Amino acid sequence: MLLASAAPADEGAAFFEAQVLPILKNRCYECHSHEGRIDGGLALDSREGWMDGGSIVPGSIGRSRFSQLLRIGDPAKQMPPKHRLPDLEIAMLETWIAMGAPDPRVSASAGKKKPVIDIEAGKKFWSYQPVCDQRPPEVKDASWPLTNVDRFILAKQEAAGLRPAGDADRFTWLRRVSLDLTGLPPTPEMIGQFVAGGADTSDSSYRYARVVDTLLNSSAFGERWARHWLDLTGYADQIGTSNNVFAEHAWRYRDYVINAFNNDKPFDQFIREQIAGDLLARHESNPARQAEMITATGFLVLGDVEIVAVDKLKMEYDLIDNQLGKIGTAFLGQTLGCVRCHDHKFDPIAMQDYYAMAGMFRSTSSTYKTDNGVWSSVNKIDLPETPGQKAARLRRLAENDASIHLREAERDEAAKSKAGFDKQLATASGDQKPSLEKQRDDLDKKIKALNGQIEHAKFFAPVAAKAFAVHDVEKPQDMRVTIRGNPYALGDEVRRGFMRVAMWDAPEVIPANESGRVQLANWIANRRNPLTARVTVNRIWQKLFGEGIVRSVDYFGTRGDPPTHPELLDYLASNFMRHGWSVKQLIRELVLSRTYRQCSTLHATGADPDNRLLTRTNRQRLDAEAIRDSMLAITGRLTTCGRGPALPLEYPENVTSLSPKAVNPPAFSFKKLRPIQDFERTIYLPVIRSAGQPGSAKLRDVFDFTQPALIAGRRPETAVPTQALFLLNSDQIRTRATELATLITQSTSGTSSRLDALWLRVLNRPITGAERDDAAKLLAELPAEKAWIELSHALLSSNEFLIRM
Amino acid sequence: MSRRSWLRRTAAGFGALAFHDIAHSASNPLAERAAAFPARAKRVIFLFMSGGPSQPDLFDPKDYIARMHGKTISAPVNTNELRVGTDKFLALAAQSAVRPRGQSGMMISDLLPHTARIADEICLLRAMHADNNQHQPAALQFQTGVTAEARPSMGSWISYGLGTENQNLPGFITIHPDSDTRLYGSSFLPAAHQGTKVIIPGGEKDSPIDYLRDIGGDAKVQRARLDFTQRMNRRLLESVRTDARMEGMIESMEIAFRMQTATPELVDLSRETEVTKRLYGIGRPECDKNARACLLARRLSEAGVRFVQVTMGGWDHHGDIRNALPKSCAASDQPCAGLIQDLKSRGLLEDTLVVWSGEFGRTPWSQDLSGTSPIEKHGREHQPESFCTWMAGGGVKPGLTYGATDDFGFKPVSEKVHLHDLHATILHLVGLDHTKLTWRHMGRDFRLTDIFGEVVSKILA
Repeated sequence: MLLASAAPADEGAAFFEAQVLPILKNRCYECHSHEGRIDGGLALDSREGWMDGGSIVPGSIGRSRFSQLLRIGDPAKQMPPKHRLPDLEIAMLETWIAMGAPDPRVSASAGKKKPVIDIEAGKKFWSYQPVCDQRPPEVKDASWPLTNVDRFILAKQEAAGLRPAGDADRFTWLRRVSLDLTGLPPTPEMIGQFVAGGADTSDSSYRYARVVDTLLNSSAFGERWARHWLDLTGYADQIGTSNNVFAEHAWRYRDYVINAFNNDKPFDQFIREQIAGDLLARHESNPARQAEMITATGFLVLGDVEIVAVDKLKMEYDLIDNQLGKIGTAFLGQTLGCVRCHDHKFDPIAMQDYYAMAGMFRSTSSTYKTDNGVWSSVNKIDLPETPGQKAARLRRLAENDASIHLREAERDEAAKSKAGFDKQLATASGDQKPSLEKQRDDLDKKIKALNGQIEHAKFFAPVAAKAFAVHDVEKPQDMRVTIRGNPYALGDEVRRGFMRVAMWDAPEVIPANESGRVQLANWIANRRNPLTARVTVNRIWQKLFGEGIVRSVDYFGTRGDPPTHPELLDYLASNFMRHGWSVKQLIRELVLSRTYRQCSTLHATGADPDNRLLTRTNRQRLDAEAIRDSMLAITGRLTTCGRGPALPLEYPENVTSLSPKAVNPPAFSFKKLRPIQDFERTIYLPVIRSAGQPGSAKLRDVFDFTQPALIAGRRPETAVPTQALFLLNSDQIRTRATELATLITQSTSGTSSRLDALWLRVLNRPITGAERDDAAKLLAELPAEKAWIELSHALLSSNEFLIRM
Repeated sequence: MSRRSWLRRTAAGFGALAFHDIAHSASNPLAERAAAFPARAKRVIFLFMSGGPSQPDLFDPKDYIARMHGKTISAPVNTNELRVGTDKFLALAAQSAVRPRGQSGMMISDLLPHTARIADEICLLRAMHADNNQHQPAALQFQTGVTAEARPSMGSWISYGLGTENQNLPGFITIHPDSDTRLYGSSFLPAAHQGTKVIIPGGEKDSPIDYLRDIGGDAKVQRARLDFTQRMNRRLLESVRTDARMEGMIESMEIAFRMQTATPELVDLSRETEVTKRLYGIGRPECDKNARACLLARRLSEAGVRFVQVTMGGWDHHGDIRNALPKSCAASDQPCAGLIQDLKSRGLLEDTLVVWSGEFGRTPWSQDLSGTSPIEKHGREHQPESFCTWMAGGGVKPGLTYGATDDFGFKPVSEKVHLHDLHATILHLVGLDHTKLTWRHMGRDFRLTDIFGEVVSKILA
């Protein structure tokens, strides 16, 4: 419309190409185009780009701010900033505006004509179809299945002419289920109880069930399964990707997740709390429940969040992208990050969908600018306290104050004495000086040490418990699309809402004064959402069976792997939701299946090499946590953890830069871990983002721990010589071997019973005759004082210990 | 026997496929692969100046800044950015003379006398730019192409693209890296391509790589223990008939055992001549550590490692740059220049690409964090908007100065090269097309250059 106002289109276009475009390219593009920056939101490389900013009003030089800036004559304000344009060029640009600013260029961001995303067609893809309750199929061999799961598995095998493997022996099954559910091997007592009692009969299933229930009810269950979830959150005890800024409250979220799994918090509730716990807490009156729900939103801020960016708007947009990407992968198996800059290349997700959800996070406050240089921090939110907690805290605060006063008094005293020495030194004779100087310097050191302690005690004074969490901004609002992710180049506003391809109804209405995270949570944690339950049960399946039913566990899009057993996946998903999203109940059903009980030996070579039909159990290498924790359990050194902060911030030598206005925020340096941290479960040890893992947590780096910058539901299981070197020579494994040797030799006498005990503890099965002979030979060959250490070391580095069969 | 084949033979004890994920080697990921098109370089040595060297002092001084020294200037800065200690924009002149060198007249500071002597060997990119002005994101972008997340590093991509020339060595070795393991990680690429961290032992107690020292202290006992473990492992393998991972774990145990003796031999520089050692500056306290690292880099390159990185820190001069910069220069100048000369005299420079760069440069105006110190004590703030990188060898034009910045030395005005372009060019020089070197992860084909990057053809010889 505007184009037609003054000049015929062809003539206008020609004038633009010949006279105007070269000026724009030479003088403006660097700061105002998609090639360079898009300063002030003005892009001059497409018509869309400048139309949007409104600084050029076609046909009106007077109302065009663009024209004013060319002529303003003030170097601080003029455009281009440094040199005023030659008059001729200004004249050309103004002529062009007067002509109605004809600009035949197509949008630089669009380039070619955009393919339009067809949401309705997209809905036909299997993962966006509603979950459909499935009935277990008929099978020919009705004697094999123990559960409905087994019928789905066996039916496929029968159709392919395959047979399941035989059952694993009881030792193997017990070790398997114990490691899978708790990350720890069974104790000799558990083994004794389970194995005693004769052959398996049809009514022996209660014995299996009793073991499973014991494991599910132990706190070790949550300590293992919480770690699986943390792999999907980017959890670390460090904020940001830069420096070593400590996340002193992160552990509260970690403990929240452990408790959620141990208490079998319904998974839909778990999702809702992590996305909108702060908003849901308003309807709660119990302070402990409120604190729990606020803490849950740590999910949104504890990832790989950049907090040192100098451009805060860009930082905020990056964080929103991070949050959406994490929600997409963790809950929905979708790659939403792709859609920040363009419609998804493969999946039916448009920029409109992205910005509909992004608006909710633009309406959410996650960070604030601190007093340190250019730094921000993740929000630290005071948690409601019970009167008891408050009283205890005030007591601790008073103690802390008293200790500060004592140290201050001590310091002032030392300063006074030091001044005395200074005075004496002024008049002292040559031979007195060295002794006086030494005394003065000692005092000086003491003063410095005390000052450090005082600063530390003030900084870490007991304040109300805080959590890294989010809250809604004052004025929630919809968000505008960005052009190629640039927060200064904005397109149309998008109404807040959800990913349309996974919607079944009109969206729930977002109250005017809210961000919409409650509605987002309700849409995700919904029995009608086609993705959430499928993604969740598939991940749980993968942990227990080695491979997912959908092998690309984090990606259910069109380029992902299709399910090997689609009916089973839907059966599990609908059952899961029907049973109140109970994770424990689902795990119980799966590990009591006949499928899970199979042995891992390949019985028919050639057929189904990838084991897609599960004719045997997939062996799994223990993950880093299970290796370290199992070694501690075996040697009897595993300590039950009191929970609480992972970082030993109480040691002044571990923290630097405590001054609140320093250029850099307080930082952590690992000089010292708590002695107990060598014996706690690995999940309680600090997770470091920007360097190697500390202390005995170093084992994580060697055995495929998920980088806390990645959101990944599955870890690789590599076999690299670095691991072998660790098994050969690390002091960690040597220490455990030494402890184990002591335990075995002190608790048992006689080589034969010692060997029995050692095998039962480490490999959780009886020793064979051949092994007994071999071990006896080794013991005889080695120096007596080392013999049991070496043998223990040999077993702890053996494949059978490292692999769950 | 040629020197190179000798090195390859002695390195053999390091272990076949030393860092290879043996469990997943249906096809060997480190097998040597043909380049996509004729390669100008077979290997890369990346000299990473961690912290951000001061290009206004070393390579790109400006008359305007010299004239305005100590006075406020008005550079076209991005006003959306926060500033700390640089809000006064006081011009800070180059601290030492920067003069034309060699036939080409390339401008190099007196602070880098050794680099000045190799001016005709190097190609200086003066209008480099990148996207983040904080160390960790910027270093991450330099190594992986992105400022956050954990993507595969440049060395991993090259190892993945080309395999290794020497099956007994990793494809990617990083000497004295910074602490962030993502900088040499392989992320979603197979673990075989991750950088292997090597420390040059400074004394008896140091180990070139972790867990190399026999913890029991008795080699015979260790072997007896290992033999027992391996007998257990083989019995288990027989009982399950076939398991590639178990086979891999058994083999990697043997490799690890051999590495205990082979690795110290590999990093042992004592067989080098005194002349060579002197060339790098070994024995001079100010640069001994970096000199050893550079000499080891040459040895590893010569032995067929595709990508060797040497990290030299200490360039982050926020304050008192007048005092601190000369020390950082002295610590790195001779080792880097010695490396180029050594490569050249051995005929290796023509197919070895050497890249020297920090993660960003520094501002032409001063920084004063205290707000009260005199200009002589000021430093310079980080500057990703423009900085200098040099390249030498394998297919780049020697003696070329490419790119110019504005009157401040702040923004590139011509022949600018974004970090993505540098990555594209490095890949091009080793014979890889940056748009085709991809890995599918979560449904998407990832590249080192993401969706960006153009080969800088004007600097190609």
